[in-house]
Amino acid sequence: MATDSSPVIEVENLGIRFRRNRKSRRNFKDLFAGRNRRTLSGEFWALRGASFTVGAGEAIGVVGRNGQGKSTLLKLVAEVILPDEGSVSVHGGVAPLIEITGGFVPELTVRDNVYLTAGLHGMKRTEVDARFDEIIDFAEIRDFLDTPYKHLSSGMKVRIAFSVISRLEEPIMLVDEVLAVGDKGFREKCYRRIEELLAGGRTLFFVSHNENDLRRFCTRGLYLNKGELVLDASIDEVLKRYNADYAEV
Amino acid sequence: MTAVSDRAILPRIQRYRHSLWLLARRDLRVRYSTSALGYFWSILDPLVMAGIYLFVFTQVFNRNVGETPYIVFLLTALLPWMWFNGTISDCTRVYLVEAKLIRSTKIPRTIWVASLVLSKGIEFIASIPVLALFAIFTGATLHWEAVYFVVAIIMQAILTVGIGLVVAPLVVFFRDLNRAVKLVLRFLFYASPIIYGVTDLPAELHVLAAFNPLSGILSLYRSAFFPDQLDAFTVLVAAIMSVVILAIGVLVFRRTERAVLKEI
Repeated sequence: MATDSSPVIEVENLGIRFRRNRKSRRNFKDLFAGRNRRTLSGEFWALRGASFTVGAGEAIGVVGRNGQGKSTLLKLVAEVILPDEGSVSVHGGVAPLIEITGGFVPELTVRDNVYLTAGLHGMKRTEVDARFDEIIDFAEIRDFLDTPYKHLSSGMKVRIAFSVISRLEEPIMLVDEVLAVGDKGFREKCYRRIEELLAGGRTLFFVSHNENDLRRFCTRGLYLNKGELVLDASIDEVLKRYNADYAEV
Repeated sequence: MTAVSDRAILPRIQRYRHSLWLLARRDLRVRYSTSALGYFWSILDPLVMAGIYLFVFTQVFNRNVGETPYIVFLLTALLPWMWFNGTISDCTRVYLVEAKLIRSTKIPRTIWVASLVLSKGIEFIASIPVLALFAIFTGATLHWEAVYFVVAIIMQAILTVGIGLVVAPLVVFFRDLNRAVKLVLRFLFYASPIIYGVTDLPAELHVLAAFNPLSGILSLYRSAFFPDQLDAFTVLVAAIMSVVILAIGVLVFRRTERAVLKEI
């Protein structure tokens, strides 16, 4: 696995804040305040001051307890939320395995949904045509092509969603614990698919609580604690530090 | 298969257009796949409204506004109004309805408003044959001003996108705003030349009414059958207002985008 020197993800002094609760006062002036550095009352920084770069072909695992900013970081890299401070630049297309079933429409058939979701993620119609069989076979739902999506079992829903998004020919993969769902057999299949993509030179950005998964895919780790990037090192070192920090808890 | 392909990333605009079509098609498909009468419903609403007004103003009251045939006069404005009204009402919930998709894809967020304008616009265009049927049966004459239909559609699309870009993000923060929007839409229905014509207003209201961009737009549609309804000043003001509103919409949208994404 060649690690290219040119960075594909550049994160610079990244910060984002959220409101602590929905009731905190919100007026028109706040709304239009845009980016500013002062912390408004009732807000907290979910992530602040994070800087790092990711080279092509690297596999990065994000480690931290719940609510320390892992998913927020992933969403910022996916550019589905925008930072209040600093910047993220992503060079190249992204296949976001975040809320993978989000684009699926309950009323439409599996076939329509595959074309829709793949299309919204940037695939052309002819490209979907070319990969259609592969997508369906991977998800093992050939018998349900013309079934409305809402009638699928929850396992099938996740399978077809993973199958579509993981067939996007994008150089960067973002994975947010989607694999916790689905049965054991399919999960293993998903893992092999991710390994296959990694071997093909893709860049991986992986959020998980599962130490085995992190060790399996990742070479480098980012340790987040209280919204700060505490450690950026090899995955083994990061996990060691993480375990040491929480050993007594 | 596993090698990273060098496929050129679709240029942004092309990708936007592609997604726009996909979403508009999706909306239409969902609407028509879940109802047996499909297309008929999108026509029925304006027809029933037109029937009611026709009855009230020709049988109950003595109509001294608008032109004859009144049904054609009504429909030329009611059909575009349905487009406008339907789009803006849907804009009040678009970010809530699409939240999951917005959280998982990075398509430019203006697309949610734009695709609504497009899908409702396609429904509007699909309803034009109904207008044509009524025109034929009542013997209304079509004038060369019918070409203004295209201009009117473009102006209305610009205006509707502009208003949608203001309404959609603000509703995310102020949920009760959708009630206010409903009220304003109802007011706007009577404040726009739909059941009456631009020329029916008292002279002192003429200038004020022109600042409702729907006045100019609807009179453009109407001029296809009733060229007297066309008023250059009203249309000009409407054109300027539409562009200004679009600019305001883009501004509001840009300033609120960051906060909207955090909220949903």
